[in-house]
Amino acid sequence: MSTDARLAARYPMLGLLGALALLLAWELAARWLWRDPQVLPSPIQSIQAAARHLTLPEVAEHVGVSVARVVGGFVLAAVSGVALGIACGWYRPLSRLVRPLVELLRPIPPLAWIPMAIIWFGLGEPSKLFVIFLGAFFPIFTNAWRGMRSVPPVLLRAARTMDVDGLALLFRVGIPAAAPDITTGLRVGFGLAFGILVAAELIAAESGMGYLVMQSRQLGELGLAVFGIFLIGVVSLVADMALATGMRRLIRGRGTLS
Amino acid sequence: MSAAEGHRDWRDVVYPLALIGALLAGWEWAATHGYLRPIRFPPPSTLLASLVELVREGFPEGITLGTHFALTMQRILAGFALAVALAVPLGLAIGWYPLLDRLTESVIAFCRSVATLSLLPLAIVWFGTGEGSKVFLIGYGCFWVMLANTVAAVRQVDPLLVRAASTMDTGPAEMFVRVVLPAVLPRLFAGARIALGVGFMVIVGAEMIGTIHGLGALIMEARTFYRSDITVVGMIVIGGLGFAITAAMQRLERLLLPWQAPVDGAR
Amino acid sequence: MPVNATAPPKIVVDRVAKHFPGDAADAPVLADLSMTIAENEFLVLLGRSGCGKTTLLNTIAGLERASSGTVHVDGAPVDRPGQGKGMVFQQGALFPWLTAAGNVAFAARKRLPDARARRARARELLELVGLGGAEDKYPSELSGGMQQRVAIARALALDPEILLMDEPFGALDELTRIEMQQELTRVWQARRKTVVFVTHSIWEGLMLADRIMVMAARPGRIVLERQIAIDRPRRRTDPELIACYEDIWRSLQ
Repeated sequence: MSTDARLAARYPMLGLLGALALLLAWELAARWLWRDPQVLPSPIQSIQAAARHLTLPEVAEHVGVSVARVVGGFVLAAVSGVALGIACGWYRPLSRLVRPLVELLRPIPPLAWIPMAIIWFGLGEPSKLFVIFLGAFFPIFTNAWRGMRSVPPVLLRAARTMDVDGLALLFRVGIPAAAPDITTGLRVGFGLAFGILVAAELIAAESGMGYLVMQSRQLGELGLAVFGIFLIGVVSLVADMALATGMRRLIRGRGTLS
Repeated sequence: MSAAEGHRDWRDVVYPLALIGALLAGWEWAATHGYLRPIRFPPPSTLLASLVELVREGFPEGITLGTHFALTMQRILAGFALAVALAVPLGLAIGWYPLLDRLTESVIAFCRSVATLSLLPLAIVWFGTGEGSKVFLIGYGCFWVMLANTVAAVRQVDPLLVRAASTMDTGPAEMFVRVVLPAVLPRLFAGARIALGVGFMVIVGAEMIGTIHGLGALIMEARTFYRSDITVVGMIVIGGLGFAITAAMQRLERLLLPWQAPVDGAR
Repeated sequence: MPVNATAPPKIVVDRVAKHFPGDAADAPVLADLSMTIAENEFLVLLGRSGCGKTTLLNTIAGLERASSGTVHVDGAPVDRPGQGKGMVFQQGALFPWLTAAGNVAFAARKRLPDARARRARARELLELVGLGGAEDKYPSELSGGMQQRVAIARALALDPEILLMDEPFGALDELTRIEMQQELTRVWQARRKTVVFVTHSIWEGLMLADRIMVMAARPGRIVLERQIAIDRPRRRTDPELIACYEDIWRSLQ
């Protein structure tokens, strides 16, 4: 532990250094060992390939389409998952009806819904939203439910002695106490949504970052795929960080309220 | 999960069963009386017949459910085993040396956040369209989850246990084998459970592209032939398989780690 | 206990100081602290949280290094843990993957290479601390008091000449705590060791100690030293102990 703290204090850029070293090794290996950009394109060659086939606005459009899909599916899942999870955690009878259904559907991987999603919603946006929604819903629901179930009973009892009851008890004590679990679920759900988005775009789409990666096969340009993969990684990292910061701010806001 | 629910009573069993029974009956009735289109919601009776057809004759003709199942299973296990064999020793080393951990931290975070299936074009170029690329994709998905959890496991070993061991004349090698290794096992198991789940998700996607063998291919093929009944049966089989794998892992964990309750890993 | 004044001391702490980077220069955790501890003496270090008593204990154990000054055991400088110094921590620090007997046997592995002898030794020591029959239980199946008993048995399995105890009963409830103090006195009388015992409970110190050193914080130093020459078992109503209690309480204000 202390060694770690010392390392962090003395060399704050070690993480970046590791990543750069790896990129450099890759660049050199691709240029001097493999020497075939259709087998192993180097990072620079990948960017050049992307520049040959894409303009910057096109890239922005692919990113935008993907982000819009993720956000759409995620918001659907967040609203329904949090609401349903809280309700099930608060009202036991509801949980008896809803949870068995959820547990029954949970083991089916979200991607396995793609064929039925196409049958139900066609090839357009709704089927993609549906699959992304499914991917994010389960962890969000479960965490919200578990968070509500594990609110310390002593908190609720203490609130009751102060005449807080009914909906006020739910909103002023129950939900704030479960907030950390709920946010955990939201972050996990968001990560899953991103992975599923790419898969959905690979399998059936005409736009988005996943499609960009698949397009490389038709064009016979592997560099484009590597570019797309990096784009996906960077965008999902940035999105996750944005979500984490936003959530921290939200919780802190709650904390000052009470 | 039932522990969090508190005590169990009869309603926890009867309500869900009644509800599911009612849903199935309503679904059957609505589909046979024309309120639901069977192509969109194939009724339970059709599903049963399709299951029998799948087991006996297979879909596409000649490829039985058993074959699809075995292939999917084989791919998952191969990819998972490879990932574990590589990730655990590497993760132990990275977790043990803080310098290594700092150097690799950002690389691991990035590789984990890359959606596994996006590597498909690379996998096909490197390993062909056959088994190799599928095993690679599953292996990739499992590897980073397993690596991150192994590193975290080592970092989270209770320093008090290490101190206590050092007061009992425990040298570095002994410390690693007899203290650190057993201490990381629960988290390794948690990681393995999550990694298997990831592998499971990856395989379904990977099989949907460019193959007719495997459960993922089965449900995709069935859709193109308007056999949504087979798609749904395939989904149920996949769900059942996922459920069975999770349950088996938990059993194994309880058997091998009798001293403690399962811990949560990170995806 | 009457201590043989002519025998060489077991532990010598010589002007030990400890600073942490960023501390004010006039408020080190330990400020040139010196003491000697005789063989088989039961020494209690008493003080509030943060007075440096645990740091001192860890330095004697060899788990931490002093910024300056030295600790000698039997005339040899302490530079690492182990080497005949058994330690008991506040939270047991038992290995959760080993049974009670397994934990004790782990400590005995260097002295008893034969597995069967080790097993017998573990059984015997668990018996000594009042845990006969719990050999095959995992720590998670034992109460806090039972876990501390295992921890004591484990420290004894090293067959140490010195036993270092860092608030070993601090996490226990009052009644269990009193029982554990009685047990420890009994065990110590059966197997004489040099004991250094850290606590912030005045009564605990009075019931156990041959000698009490009261410490104060920032700079970490000794503010009172008391011999307690009262026969064991001791009673809390003993007027001499009550007088001592008053003195110690005052020194802590």
